[in-house]
Amino acid sequence: MSIAEQGVAIAEAPSDDIVLDVRDLQTYFFLRRGIVKAVDGVSFALRRGEVLGLVGESGCGKSLTALSIMRLLPKGSARTIHGEVLLNGEDILEKTPNEMREIRGRKISMILQDPQTSLNPVFTIGEQLREAIFRRTRGRTREVMREAVAALRRVDIAAPEQRLGQFPHQMSGGMKQRVVGAISISGRPEVLIADEPTTALDVTIQLQYLKLLKRLQEETRMAILFITHDFGVVARMCDRVAVMYAGRIVECGPVDQVFDNPSHPYTQALIASVPKMTGSTERLYTIEGQPPSLMDLPVGCRFAPRCPYADQRCLAAYPPSFTVGAEHTADCWRMTAA
Amino acid sequence: MTAGSLGEFEGQPLLRVERLRKYYPFTKGILFAKTLGQVKAVDDISFTIAAGETLGLVGESGCGKTTTSKLILNLEEPSEGRILLRGKPIHGLAGDALREYRARVQAVFQDPWSSLNPRMMVGRTIAESLIVTGWGNRTDIAERVRELLEQVGLRQDQATQYPHEFSGGQRQRIALASALASEPQLIVLDEPVSALDVSIRAQMMNLLKDIQARSNVAYLLVAHDLATVRHMADQTVVMYLGKIVEYAATQTLFDNVLHPYTKALFSAVLRPRPDRREEEIVLAGEVPSPLNPPSGCRFHTRCPFAMAHCSREEPPLREVEPGHLVACHLYDAAAAPAFARMKEEIVPT
Repeated sequence: MSIAEQGVAIAEAPSDDIVLDVRDLQTYFFLRRGIVKAVDGVSFALRRGEVLGLVGESGCGKSLTALSIMRLLPKGSARTIHGEVLLNGEDILEKTPNEMREIRGRKISMILQDPQTSLNPVFTIGEQLREAIFRRTRGRTREVMREAVAALRRVDIAAPEQRLGQFPHQMSGGMKQRVVGAISISGRPEVLIADEPTTALDVTIQLQYLKLLKRLQEETRMAILFITHDFGVVARMCDRVAVMYAGRIVECGPVDQVFDNPSHPYTQALIASVPKMTGSTERLYTIEGQPPSLMDLPVGCRFAPRCPYADQRCLAAYPPSFTVGAEHTADCWRMTAA
Repeated sequence: MTAGSLGEFEGQPLLRVERLRKYYPFTKGILFAKTLGQVKAVDDISFTIAAGETLGLVGESGCGKTTTSKLILNLEEPSEGRILLRGKPIHGLAGDALREYRARVQAVFQDPWSSLNPRMMVGRTIAESLIVTGWGNRTDIAERVRELLEQVGLRQDQATQYPHEFSGGQRQRIALASALASEPQLIVLDEPVSALDVSIRAQMMNLLKDIQARSNVAYLLVAHDLATVRHMADQTVVMYLGKIVEYAATQTLFDNVLHPYTKALFSAVLRPRPDRREEEIVLAGEVPSPLNPPSGCRFHTRCPFAMAHCSREEPPLREVEPGHLVACHLYDAAAAPAFARMKEEIVPT
């Protein structure tokens, strides 16, 4: 049912200079107890030099979408069973593991949430950075060294020559995350996937890091898929935002439009339930209930059981993507009238 | 609020923290350990919490907020200073008196995945503190557990389930239920909502407020998110490297932020609807090590408005405006020019 409907959304997606085009991606976990439909028909396009936010709560499939694109799914039960991931028009789901290794880091790269676990504690950061650079350039030691120093300087690390000899535990969280950033962009990727890169950082350090990332993005014109649960981060970083719920993108559009005119009830509820820095401090808006089990998804709209506007139609069938504005779509039956 | 004021009529706030210091020695060697220095995790802080009130404690990692809550929970002995609950010092308590204190002051921690025993039915977890404090016989305890589950919005029959059967938000409710079991007067909430999803966070915050309105329990809310503090707290304390830099009623503080560090914290809040006119202070560098904190004002190394004497003299925490305490030389009479510059640069229009 979903493929034809998703086709509508793709036709309306921006077509100019698309670097990454994800079409109807489905990644499931096959367990003895049943099938967990973690990513269930996700489509979006990322333009060169654009930052797209992917927002949602835990378990909505946003991280798994990223891992599916990188083809770094956890070993064992998870498999991408359907869809295309077109990087400059080529489907990277078709690539061999060897080809994929060449693509990762050079064409498409990733920053994970916790710098503690993405750096190896027993190697100096210089060794880890040089490895990444050497794998790409096969250059001579001195050139690799020079490039490593430049990479650290680019992410605002003072005295990079000294830092290269240090181990991850000798650095603060913010600095480690900048090193991870330096490694990720050392191959000058066209697409960077940042999966909650600032969640583990303090607020003032988060602001520093976001500003740095934005500057690097503007300098290199790379496209960023920015995964977060924080609307504040989206407002700060992104051009467009896609909101995910229970394995699907339910609303997608330019950041200003989605904030000013949230069209899906889930987006509305998410925005309303965040404590604000201005206005009333009375009771916060809450969404009742829990997201549905991904093993036993409702036939109709996945948000319907928690939605204040749900009616018969919502329970009967999943809504198609309706256009609610320029480049702004929402999967909600209420948009039919609009 | 009525009972809250009662506490003040007696002339004693519920909890009084007086010139509290906690230093951890930094040693080298094992057998003949040499003390190389002191980590000044908490360095001379004072504040009070009234009954039924929420005090928000804000700061970044390493500012001493967790040490402060450990000291209040009587899990650490202070190096200097004291903490009084209803006028009685809490450290040095033993036996029944300590047990009594543990019943009066409870805690809910950040991570509901590690704070509940995975092998214990949640009803049993909640009953535990009732058994320890001698609540009554089995039926009384069972009755109380049911009552508590209901209070936190769970079903009574869920008492026989195990923690893994619950979501993060539900687990945090269970942690709250067991904290509430012994009818405490104060609950230390250490980042109670930061591990939860946005929509669940709002539920939890509303629940905490409802419970406070009903039972008049006081909260010490340790948090890094200013918007959460704004919604929950009556008073706000901002800490930096073991010191209080700003302390005022939440409304007063949020209306008129005075300390440059607090201003930086405020401008680091990413608003869903960014107001472009808003000025921004991006702090350079990171929080210095508390092992060797900067001389004078501890913030001077990162402060965009630091003056020459900031690195020499430590600013005292003084009342700059009625009910608004700030530790900053900018508010000295002599600092008028620098103060004017700051007003010009960063006071939001």
